[in-house]
Amino acid sequence: MIEVDNILNILKQTKKAIAENNPLELKRLSNQTIHSASTNQDQENISIAVTIYSLGKIYQREHYKKLEGWENFNRLINNSLNLAIKYLEKGDLENYKKNFALIGKAINKISGKLKNFISDVFEKARINKASKIHEHGISLGKTAKLLGVTLYDLATYTGTSGVSDMPLNKTIDIKQRIKFAEEIFS
Amino acid sequence: MTKAILFDASTLISFSMNGILYILEELKKSFNGKFIITKEVKYETIDRPLKIKRFKLEALKLNELLKKGVLEMPSIFNINEEEISKRTQKILDIANSMYQGKSGDIHLLDLGEASCLELSKMLNDKKIPNVIATDERTTRMLAEKPENLKKLLQKKLHSKISYDKEKAKHFKPIKIIRSTEIAYVAYKKGLTKLKGKQSLDALLFALKFKGCSISHEEIEEIEKLG
Repeated sequence: MIEVDNILNILKQTKKAIAENNPLELKRLSNQTIHSASTNQDQENISIAVTIYSLGKIYQREHYKKLEGWENFNRLINNSLNLAIKYLEKGDLENYKKNFALIGKAINKISGKLKNFISDVFEKARINKASKIHEHGISLGKTAKLLGVTLYDLATYTGTSGVSDMPLNKTIDIKQRIKFAEEIFS
Repeated sequence: MTKAILFDASTLISFSMNGILYILEELKKSFNGKFIITKEVKYETIDRPLKIKRFKLEALKLNELLKKGVLEMPSIFNINEEEISKRTQKILDIANSMYQGKSGDIHLLDLGEASCLELSKMLNDKKIPNVIATDERTTRMLAEKPENLKKLLQKKLHSKISYDKEKAKHFKPIKIIRSTEIAYVAYKKGLTKLKGKQSLDALLFALKFKGCSISHEEIEEIEKLG
């Protein structure tokens, strides 16, 4: 079920952060959404977390703004965001979803270098958010499925994330585990 | 008596992405048992990545191990794969309703991970000694120390989490090892291509950085064992 008020609030703050050129705020909003995404595991929250994180990365990179197609891309993002907010305020979830989805599809309306850069940002954002959900305690397999990434994508990312060094991760003594291994191979 | 190591996708990926699948081949030569993957794990490590250019090579290398018989399917134990899939769904339902947050059940596992847990139980019923090889943290915590998983979820989700201790009993007694313990055994047996303590350190950290859930502290402990 969509938490309309929460999403509306996040989208309004996203709009404000874009207008104020505040990528850090976009990152914070994305992280806020990831808590809900980990618990509810609904595509709506996941999609919002990935999109806002991607927008944070995109608006942070000043050189993108000098590339051909930027103005068109920026206009599409703002239009879609405004319409998504408008429909959500009206309680029209169908049109909200359609317009929010257009943010991700804005890539298809541009070409050249900018298109490649932005596609890459969205792809990496999915892996980054998957890694965050995994940090919340959800398994790699489940997370990969939720975000539509592969376990191979996640392996390197989680390996360098520091998750494994949390004290809670230790479940049995290492000597005991070595014993399991030695016994089975004996 | 035959025995089995049930490989989860995470462990195979750690070996494959480090280019050290030969360790499994070498260990298998003197192993009095089977290295098994379920069809769900095969899908995650071979079938799906075969269609993705970035990971096609890893998938092909694992497929080669399957062709050579280093990895085998559960049918080798006369276990019907449809039966595993059916029972996997049940254990998945148990795992995914074991922890509750404010919005309800927290879904933790997916099919591949659950299929290894279920197959381990099925082999236990047949009195076939087995361990699960998984580098995946959540599966290991769920089976070995579910109370830690509860604490982790509470800490990360910033809300109260409850867990069903009766359901936790479904995951006992399951034994788990990781790619790092397998590499250690290979090192002790002299089966790794590089020799010496530096190579052990390098192997363990390489596996950690490709996703094996092991801490720096645990690696140091293994190295002290020599």
